[in-house]
Amino acid sequence: MRRGALLRLAVLNLRADRRGALLNGVAVSAGAAALCFFLSLGLGTGAAVRQMFPGEARLVEVVPGAVSLGPVLGGGTLDDAAVRRLRELPGVTAAWPRMSLRVPVAATRGPEGLALNYPPGFTLQIPVVGVDPGLVAGDLPPGASFADPGDGGPIPVVISSRLLEAYNRTIAPAWNVRRLPPGPALVGLQLPVRIGYSIVPLKTEDRVYDARLRLAGLSDRVPTFMLAMPLDTVRRLHREYGKPDLGYTGVSLLAARPDDVPAVAAAVRRMGYAVDESDRSVAERAGAVVAVATAALALLALLMIAVAALAIAQSLFASVRARAREIAVLQAVGATRADVRSLVLAEAALLGLGGGLAGAALARGASAGLDRVALRLLPDFPFRPPSFFLFPAWLWAAGAGVAALAAVLGALAPAAAASRVDPARTIA
Amino acid sequence: MIRLRGVVKRFREAGRDRPVLDGLDLEVPPGEMVAVVGPSGSGKSTLLYLVGGLDADFEGEARVAGHDLRALSERERAAFRNREVGFVFQAFNLLPQLTALENACLPGWFEGGGARPRSALLDAGREALARVGLGDRAGDRPGQLSGGQRQRVAIARALFAGPRLLLADEPTGNLDTATGEGIIQLFAELARGGMTVLVVTHEERVSQAAARVLRLEGGRLR
Repeated sequence: MRRGALLRLAVLNLRADRRGALLNGVAVSAGAAALCFFLSLGLGTGAAVRQMFPGEARLVEVVPGAVSLGPVLGGGTLDDAAVRRLRELPGVTAAWPRMSLRVPVAATRGPEGLALNYPPGFTLQIPVVGVDPGLVAGDLPPGASFADPGDGGPIPVVISSRLLEAYNRTIAPAWNVRRLPPGPALVGLQLPVRIGYSIVPLKTEDRVYDARLRLAGLSDRVPTFMLAMPLDTVRRLHREYGKPDLGYTGVSLLAARPDDVPAVAAAVRRMGYAVDESDRSVAERAGAVVAVATAALALLALLMIAVAALAIAQSLFASVRARAREIAVLQAVGATRADVRSLVLAEAALLGLGGGLAGAALARGASAGLDRVALRLLPDFPFRPPSFFLFPAWLWAAGAGVAALAAVLGALAPAAAASRVDPARTIA
Repeated sequence: MIRLRGVVKRFREAGRDRPVLDGLDLEVPPGEMVAVVGPSGSGKSTLLYLVGGLDADFEGEARVAGHDLRALSERERAAFRNREVGFVFQAFNLLPQLTALENACLPGWFEGGGARPRSALLDAGREALARVGLGDRAGDRPGQLSGGQRQRVAIARALFAGPRLLLADEPTGNLDTATGEGIIQLFAELARGGMTVLVVTHEERVSQAAARVLRLEGGRLR
């Protein structure tokens, strides 16, 4: 049968039974709307979770073991030899050590060149970690330097973009200070600090001097609530203040592929070191909760679509019985059984497609409305996404496609029944 | 054009086979108009649908327009109905959702390989409608037409593919005398033009227009 004629006849048949088609269309669109809505919500919240916990799938964070048997039997401090051994593990492409600064650093003024209403007399104790420049190299703007400047020069630092988010959404409103501009605009900003000064009694060093920190960039590879400065700077400050070498506080290993991570982690544990999975497990747990909830709701929506498909099947059975004479006439003028089957399936596909698209549009509207309500009612918490829904183009196709597929599957039995109409008996 | 030999057709009723056609023979040459008469339930319509390839469940030999009907596959039988046969029914059997032109073009929607372009189909449909005097009602739906006009659209549909055989089942049964007369004249004209016409009827005026009248009794033609 000609494709155009098939479609025309299918459309006309649906139009002839407007009420039935409308009821079936509403049932399908409700299911498709639920499916698109829940998937869109899952995608949106999943994206928000990833933004909140941007755990890198290839990074393994190594920390000294809780129990050490010494360098010979395993474990012990993370020194250069340990970093070398970790770097040589199969599946590891890079190893970047880090070391917490044990010299206090404090800020008594706000950043220079920024109209920030820093509270007068307020001293901010700054936790600092020294990191290997290789860890953050990929996140720095082109040409940015992240090397120890030596005495006198501003010390380059890197902060986590999550720190900026937490400051702007939580700390700034609580302290009643101005919010900071977006990350890239802050690069190059300098913060006057006092090296060796602590707000904790008896923790201030004998020597305290003024220095400046210069923001070199933002990276999610550095701890959220610490400033990261070059590892060489931390070593230099430790030397200046006579701090003993206690080894590294951790090493970040980059696995060649995400699939290598479990094997690398196991090898690290065999070496007597521990793997800090707190960030990763939180991210994984949050992602899993979103994924499971989305899957459960999507399953519910698929059940709704299946029920709608059964309704379509029921309706088409009745329609085929009522139209038996028409079907027989089509056979009399040359329709094959396959043509008759195709006609019934085309009617179902059109119903499913139309209902699916209407459902997707309904879901899009509902998600936009809920976003507006959320924007008005929810507080401005850190990492609050601009939208709780993601509606990519493929979701429209998925809504319409799944609905059409379900309708066609539901129409298989009525289509088979239609193809079995005996034209001679029916016309007679 | 039509050659039936020893055709037997049975219907199963109350668990028993009842022969409706019982060793029926029939021979109709091309261009002849033949009327088949007989009492209700004698198997007239059954004979017509068997000749038209709508019913393949029978015994005996049936050759129509050069085709051995029992040897045709389901698909081939559909193509046979599409190209070689035109049906006209008592109840018109037009599709109410289609216009007169679309109803007339219906066989074209099922044409097989090398199908004509849509414009050619529509031209053929208009020509068929013009042939039955309804060229100006192409856009009307069956509900907007009188009984006689509907039957003419049905005849246009039957003539659309240029078949060699026209099969009519009580074609004037639902029409008034004058309209029925016009339809009979049209059939006679088609037969004169070389088309074989087999009409099942119980009306004498139709029989009078036929070149031959056959009576179906006891499952056989006499």
